[in-house]
Amino acid sequence: MAVAQTAKRKKKRDWYRLGFIALFLLPALAILGTFMFYPIKETFRLSFMRSSGFGEEIYVGWRNYQRIFASPEFRQGFVNVFKWAFWSVAIQIPLAFFIAFTCVNFRTRIIGRLRGVYYLSNVLPSAITAMLGVFIFSPTSGVIKTFAKTTGWKWLESIDWLGNPKLAFWSLFALATWAYMGFGIIYLMANIEQIPTEIREAALIDGATQWQYAWRVVIPYVSYAIRVQAILATVGSIKLFDLPYMVTLGGPRNATVTLGITLYREAFLNWQYGRGAAIGVVIFLICLVITIFQFSFVNDHSATDQSI
Amino acid sequence: MRRKKVSQYTEEFEAPKSQRRLSVSSVLVHIALILLALIVISPLIIPFFFTFKTPLEFAYNPWGLPEKLRWSNFEQAWKMVRIGEGLRNSLQVCIGAVLFTVPPAAMAGYIFAFYRSKVTNVLFYVVMAGFFVPVHMVLIPLYQFSTKIGITNTFPGVFLPIAAFGIPFWTIIYRSFYSGLPKDMVEAGRIDGAGHFTVFMRIIFPMAKPATVLAVLLSFMGGWSDFIIGLIMLSSQSKFTMQLRISQFIGNLGANYFPQYAAGVIISSLPTIILYLIFHKYIIQGTTLAGAIKG
Repeated sequence: MAVAQTAKRKKKRDWYRLGFIALFLLPALAILGTFMFYPIKETFRLSFMRSSGFGEEIYVGWRNYQRIFASPEFRQGFVNVFKWAFWSVAIQIPLAFFIAFTCVNFRTRIIGRLRGVYYLSNVLPSAITAMLGVFIFSPTSGVIKTFAKTTGWKWLESIDWLGNPKLAFWSLFALATWAYMGFGIIYLMANIEQIPTEIREAALIDGATQWQYAWRVVIPYVSYAIRVQAILATVGSIKLFDLPYMVTLGGPRNATVTLGITLYREAFLNWQYGRGAAIGVVIFLICLVITIFQFSFVNDHSATDQSI
Repeated sequence: MRRKKVSQYTEEFEAPKSQRRLSVSSVLVHIALILLALIVISPLIIPFFFTFKTPLEFAYNPWGLPEKLRWSNFEQAWKMVRIGEGLRNSLQVCIGAVLFTVPPAAMAGYIFAFYRSKVTNVLFYVVMAGFFVPVHMVLIPLYQFSTKIGITNTFPGVFLPIAAFGIPFWTIIYRSFYSGLPKDMVEAGRIDGAGHFTVFMRIIFPMAKPATVLAVLLSFMGGWSDFIIGLIMLSSQSKFTMQLRISQFIGNLGANYFPQYAAGVIISSLPTIILYLIFHKYIIQGTTLAGAIKG
């Protein structure tokens, strides 16, 4: 009798526990389900439909994908984001590493003060970065134009930073480097600071120059962090939308168009939901492949950790 | 402990020698770093040269000191961005984002840390997967069904999706934070007769205060910085957030009103800069965490 009663009470307590678990998971899962997982499923479905959002949806198979890959705008966006990713890795990471390394290894009072400055541009919302970009590059009286007028340098004055299709990409890229590099600096700094001081002392006592120390000791030590940075810069480039949208609207002549901008144009300007969704799926799949690639070298990370 | 001792010792011993040896490169490094810092900060300083001037004064003497401090450009920029309204709207979005990100994440993280089972582990991976989803993947259906349930052009329509994209990260953070807490705390509480809920409210959640401070601050910043979700969800001017207002300002105000544009730059970047100056330690800490998680 007594045994049965405790069993019963235990069962009741278990139900109570389950209810508690469900109750505590509910808010997070409900928000995620409604505003993330359900829309993801819908995007997959829509990418096979012809839909303008108002009329009926017609199943069209792979037609949307064929259409977007045939469209020059989308192809240009595709090329642009990968070009952007390549140069982000090639320029932003070495620069971020230089700043992070020198800030950690030359601890003077001046440099201590500067550290907080580098990160400031990274917290500015993209709208403000865009605003500053126009402020600097504006063709009629941007900062550079004004500067050229005062110095009388005609060659500088004649450069159209945002209107010239060949230049616009690089103007935007410079702006993005300015805005996004802070994250790389902070992240690399945190990793470099974890190097035990003995290693540094040992290297310097053995007569290594700062350059050799950076190249032979620090870079191998933080190579994992650098690779993570490379992955993040690549994913960030694939998802690029805000800056080009606000500064150049993807122009001139699609020179700065990105996948995100083609999605926005198809879905919310042309009201071609199906094609927009197909672009969304493409972006998603690229990010997925890169993320899986990233996880595949996690094992590598533990190996380097042990060797050091 | 030992490490600190050794390094202190060697630093005392080594410092003068290494300083002498590195003087040239040290000077070069200082110059490079100062230049880079100037490049970073100058776009935020240059507007001050322009902003107090009339268009005429700007045309003839853009770089010199202004004749006098004219605040009229600020007034006009303020009116054009309608910054008061933008701030109010943004504030509502930010508060909503915090309220719908932090408590759900704190609660879910609690379950994932202390009530581990096969089911909760699977659910944790599901939540974690959300961390890697690009926002583009959800925009169209989000807009579609928000229209259906009538939350487009409302603030919940903006902050709920923002929360959905913040919850995975903060759930991961809370879970790992709770996992570092001593398990005895929970057991002691349970033995003393506290229920599941009481243990969370009285013991666990208060102990997670450092995580909560970060979560509140950074979800606030997330709501503040959002552009794309506001862009597709909000249609009427009176509902526009700061970022949408600014993007409109960029389009509307051409270079003819450059001193006013400069004033707009100053006004719009000020709230973020103030936030950064006050909270930069937490912000940097949170960013480092984000990097560590993504890695």
